[in-house]
Amino acid sequence: MKIISKKEFLAFIDALIEDVSIDVEGVKAKGEKFVFGPLESSDELRLDHDVTILPPKKYFLPQYETMMTFDLSKPFSVERVENPKERVIIGVHPYDIIAIKQMDTYFLDTHVDDSYLQRRKNTLIIGSNILNVAEKAFFGDMGTGFVDSGYDLMLTDMGDKIAIDIGTEAGEKLLNKYVHSLQEATPNDVQKVRTIIENASAKAKRGLLVKPEGWRDLLEKNYNSDVWKSQAEKCLGCGTCTLVCPTCFCYDINDEIDLNLTTGKRIRTWDGCLLRDFTKVGSGEIFRESMEDRYRHRYNRKGRYLPDMLGFVACVGCGRCSSQCIPDIADPVNLINKIAETSQSIKKSEITPLTTEDKLVSATVEESLHLPRPATLKRVEKLTELETFFEIELDDGCPLGHQPGQFVEISVMGFGEAPISISSAPNGNTFELVVRRVGDVTSKLHTMKPGDKVGIRGPFGKGFDVKALKGRDLLFIGGGLGIVPMRSLINYVLNNRQDFGEVTILYGCKRPCEMLFKDEVAEWETRKDIQFMKSVDKCPEGESWDGEIGVITCLIPKAKFDPKSTIAIVVGPPIMYRFVIRDLLNLGMPEENIIVSLERRMKCGVGKCGHCQINGIYVCKDGPVFNYKDVKDLPEAFT
Amino acid sequence: MKPKVAFFDFAGCEGCQLQIANLEEDVLKLIDIVEIVSFREIMKEHSDEYDIAVIEGSIMRPMDEERLKKIRKNAKILVALGACACIGSVQRMLNQWPIEESKKIVYNNFKETKNNPYFDNFSTKAVDEVVKVDAYVPGCPIDRNEFARVLVALVQGKKPPIPDYPLCVECKKKENVCLFELGKFCMGPITRAGCDAICPTHGNECEGCRGFISHPEERAYTEVLEKYGLSVEEILQRKTMFTYRYVEKTKKEAKKDE
Amino acid sequence: MSKINIAVKHLTRVEGHGNIVFNVKDGTIEKIQWQVSEAPRMFESFLRGRPYHQMSHITSRICGICSIGHALCSLKATEAAMGIEVSEQTVLLRKLALHGENMQSHILHVGYLVAPDLFRVGSVFPMIETHTDTVLKIIKLHRLANEMSDLMCGRTTHPITLIPGGFTAIPSEKQLRNLKQKLIDIIPICDDVIQTVLDNIHMLPDFSRETEYIALTTDDEYALYDGVIGSTDTGRHPIEEYESIVNEFVVPHSTAKFTRHARESYMVGALARFNLNSDQLTPLAKKCAKKFGLKAVNYNPFMNNVAQLIEYYHSVEDSITLIDKLLERGLKKKDNTKYKVRGGRGIGAVEVPRGILFHDYTYNDQGICTKANLVIPTNQNHNNITKDMEIFAPMLLDKSEKEIELNLEMLVRAYDPCISCSTHYLKVEFKR
Repeated sequence: MKIISKKEFLAFIDALIEDVSIDVEGVKAKGEKFVFGPLESSDELRLDHDVTILPPKKYFLPQYETMMTFDLSKPFSVERVENPKERVIIGVHPYDIIAIKQMDTYFLDTHVDDSYLQRRKNTLIIGSNILNVAEKAFFGDMGTGFVDSGYDLMLTDMGDKIAIDIGTEAGEKLLNKYVHSLQEATPNDVQKVRTIIENASAKAKRGLLVKPEGWRDLLEKNYNSDVWKSQAEKCLGCGTCTLVCPTCFCYDINDEIDLNLTTGKRIRTWDGCLLRDFTKVGSGEIFRESMEDRYRHRYNRKGRYLPDMLGFVACVGCGRCSSQCIPDIADPVNLINKIAETSQSIKKSEITPLTTEDKLVSATVEESLHLPRPATLKRVEKLTELETFFEIELDDGCPLGHQPGQFVEISVMGFGEAPISISSAPNGNTFELVVRRVGDVTSKLHTMKPGDKVGIRGPFGKGFDVKALKGRDLLFIGGGLGIVPMRSLINYVLNNRQDFGEVTILYGCKRPCEMLFKDEVAEWETRKDIQFMKSVDKCPEGESWDGEIGVITCLIPKAKFDPKSTIAIVVGPPIMYRFVIRDLLNLGMPEENIIVSLERRMKCGVGKCGHCQINGIYVCKDGPVFNYKDVKDLPEAFT
Repeated sequence: MKPKVAFFDFAGCEGCQLQIANLEEDVLKLIDIVEIVSFREIMKEHSDEYDIAVIEGSIMRPMDEERLKKIRKNAKILVALGACACIGSVQRMLNQWPIEESKKIVYNNFKETKNNPYFDNFSTKAVDEVVKVDAYVPGCPIDRNEFARVLVALVQGKKPPIPDYPLCVECKKKENVCLFELGKFCMGPITRAGCDAICPTHGNECEGCRGFISHPEERAYTEVLEKYGLSVEEILQRKTMFTYRYVEKTKKEAKKDE
Repeated sequence: MSKINIAVKHLTRVEGHGNIVFNVKDGTIEKIQWQVSEAPRMFESFLRGRPYHQMSHITSRICGICSIGHALCSLKATEAAMGIEVSEQTVLLRKLALHGENMQSHILHVGYLVAPDLFRVGSVFPMIETHTDTVLKIIKLHRLANEMSDLMCGRTTHPITLIPGGFTAIPSEKQLRNLKQKLIDIIPICDDVIQTVLDNIHMLPDFSRETEYIALTTDDEYALYDGVIGSTDTGRHPIEEYESIVNEFVVPHSTAKFTRHARESYMVGALARFNLNSDQLTPLAKKCAKKFGLKAVNYNPFMNNVAQLIEYYHSVEDSITLIDKLLERGLKKKDNTKYKVRGGRGIGAVEVPRGILFHDYTYNDQGICTKANLVIPTNQNHNNITKDMEIFAPMLLDKSEKEIELNLEMLVRAYDPCISCSTHYLKVEFKR
């Protein structure tokens, strides 16, 4: 630990500000409150602040971030936006540093977010120990009032002098560039710093009845508690809690086009699970609609799902959500205590301490997570009123390399990006999509012609485990649009027919005119080595139909298969699952023999933006293909 | 072929059309992507052939209703511009009383107002209470950049990007100090975002001029206002200023239940 | 010409809806009329029972162009009613806001609404090709005015930061310094636009009719924010006597009331202000007046356009002076006057771009408005427009019908009427 006089410290800050090669951001006053912002002189810096309105997450995941620019005057021109400017943030409290570590774990895992990484690498963090405790802060209860890594320098303001703990080489370099009169800290100084830290943590205790280690179990056991409803009744759904939270980082991505209709940008912005449209898909369906569900989800994500996924409780006790929630229902202390009061006994779980410094150093990016690859439409065929077929080839000539059941994110620059299931078997240089026209992107796609260009990201998701299906009897049950992803697997199976046992295909739609892949269906009907049946809910006047009439479940008793040994692959609209699965289970099919493909709003495709969550799982990463056994107990899976 | 756009105004202050002029140099970019065939406030020429009709102002007289219906027939797309057209704005407060009472107060039974179509007001109506509206640009006045975004979306064939979440989202992203903490009573939590929280950013309460979001948590919000010390009367004063349309609706629905 | 039938329905390039009717049969004039057909929104009815803190926000919605003027006049009335005295800083900032609005409105009027007539085109759009440089300069002048109003009030149309007793937020000293530099930089651009107008000024008719001119007037300065009522005929009057000056009356062909005072009609607006107070203009404004040869008292209503250009200079120069004063004093962040809500009656008078505006409110002890009267500048001009038309139209009889129509339109446009504003102002009685 080093010591520097206050005067010299302020000179250090002013020297930093003078240096135009580095942006200096620090905590300063805004009215009676505090914010992180650009410093114009050292006397603006307020190391005595209690808490800022927004956490420093805005430096690594900005409120509005231009990810890339595009130019529609060229066939496909997309350019990533770089953020090379070096920057230092001064005054970050320990709990916020821990929150940044949590963000690192999330954004720098297997799919490294290149934008986030660049901002992290360009930023030096100068932390400061807490002098004043905000009214609603409870980092003492959470154990986040102290941190010994994750910063380049850590300051403790002792009045006439500042204690500096050097965290990294970069921090040391910065200090030595401007400061030439550092003294060693005396044991007295070290003790003073320790006392300051302990005092702050002692003050930041608000009687939390259950420590973070117990949140997981508490939340799981009390998923259906009345507390959720009674709290949610007061919730305004305004999104404030997630926006001001240092450990909330869900985002949305939208395209904006300029007045010239030619140039534009793709922008990432903060989003939150408390907002009603968070889980809304193109067709208009909202998968987490009730306020109770949304309110409960936030706590479960922080106290249960993220701990399960990454090993930490995503709450650092800063108190921001609590102090800024207008109806005052966001406070985790109150909520946990309310639930604990009526809960049965709970057990503690493991919380692993975070070490992400190595992640920061080792994380590399081969290609951008967000940048779409140019691809060309080879064939465009209108299948029905609402669905169009596309055959697409990547411009770099490489095959997509997908598994049946996976999906891509297709970009039409200026309109947006949409997740579409891949409909072809993985062979050849091209891949096939069937797109239903529901919104901006899909409507625009429907007007495009062969030769037009689109952007492709992916393939994403967990597809069908083809290896596990080898040698087995298979029963395909496809409802409506569900036939699209299933077709990729069906064609794979039919192409390798000898590798599989009995194959039965059941396909149902609402009406004959909605049937897709008419030619292939005709082929399936004539094949002797598979059993094929089709049905429509009804056959209106003027349409002709030679199959069964009734909902798809009517075909199940007609099909010949051994429920005990057959694997069922079921894909269709949400309502279909309930009835089909019920019928299959009633026939004695084991749960682990049923495979489903679930749909949610998928945006990033890599488990980062948060929109596709079903309780604690990400449909884009853990699915969309699931074994029924793994999802049957998720309350949000089959609504 | 550039789409043809025509602007029309009814009962309003023309401030929303002024915002379009306030696009300044961007007006030149605007007329590159659309052809303005009628805009009474700034040009003499007029044509009855247009693809997009932009309507400012509320509908307050039968003669206005007729004019609007004719416009709707001519246009492929109709845009309601500003609070007067979208929800009725401040003149909607007239609907608190029978229209005859207001006419009496205003014109003192002056005989020339009888049987005179110019004075033949009925209660204030928003544009979609007379004809079908394809796109809305809310606000009093509109945000000119939002108008540009909506127009661009219409020309592209996209759904206009009007948010359906509360102002709080934009206010928080700007790191504003919440006005409730300063002892004020902001309507942000139930009002539609898209204005970038301009009023709270300047220290003034949101007055709801953009209308409510499609699913406002009104009950929870009223509870909050009561908790912070507003009387029922004071709460109603705020809810009736721009957003009387919603109060009217609640009154109507309450009557139906009776 | 023996038969002329001019019926201009919904006159273009003016704010609001009005019609011009001119019928001649066998050489005899049958009808000359200026009709105001704007839909009345009946503010006077729904202002009943509104709390004092909403009044300026509601009344600013009367007009989209002079909303700052309405808001300031409304606040002055409320402050007069409740005995609220605002600080000098607040007055200086409000004067800046008013200058911003004056600049914005005048350049919008002369640049977009009148200039096309000078070039005999239908709108400013063709001028973008033929007079690109001028149009871009006009846009610059307009943009600066808007930026100024945005800075002072948060938003140029329907201001946000103006409240009884002061402001919810004020600009910083740095922002004021930036604004001052922009104002200084705009002057040469202004000079260029003025020259273009000067080169084409002969396109405006040379018509004159003696009438009375009424505007705010004060000893200290060219009155816009503060003053007493001044008349070229009867001298000065306290604001409290406004009703006896204005004398509103109803006419059948207008949803707006008409007014008269010492003569059969009077005029308000930039020309009226010039005629009363021209010697108090700033040096650059006086220089501009000299260039156009405009001297008080000028009876040509078309010169209202010129007076507006002169006032643009005045607003720019006076704003620089105001900013210097504010910077010298040093800005205080919290400078609002604390007050108690109480009952009472107060009258506010302010010069908005189109002329003198009056707001007259009465509050009960709870701060609820029980009575309101508002007199709008354009109201006060409708009668003068009519009288001018009655003299001017016959002078045009030897011209083509198209030319007559254009000249009559130009006459109305010269007044820069704000018609939707004017269709409102009658008495409000709210008895509880």
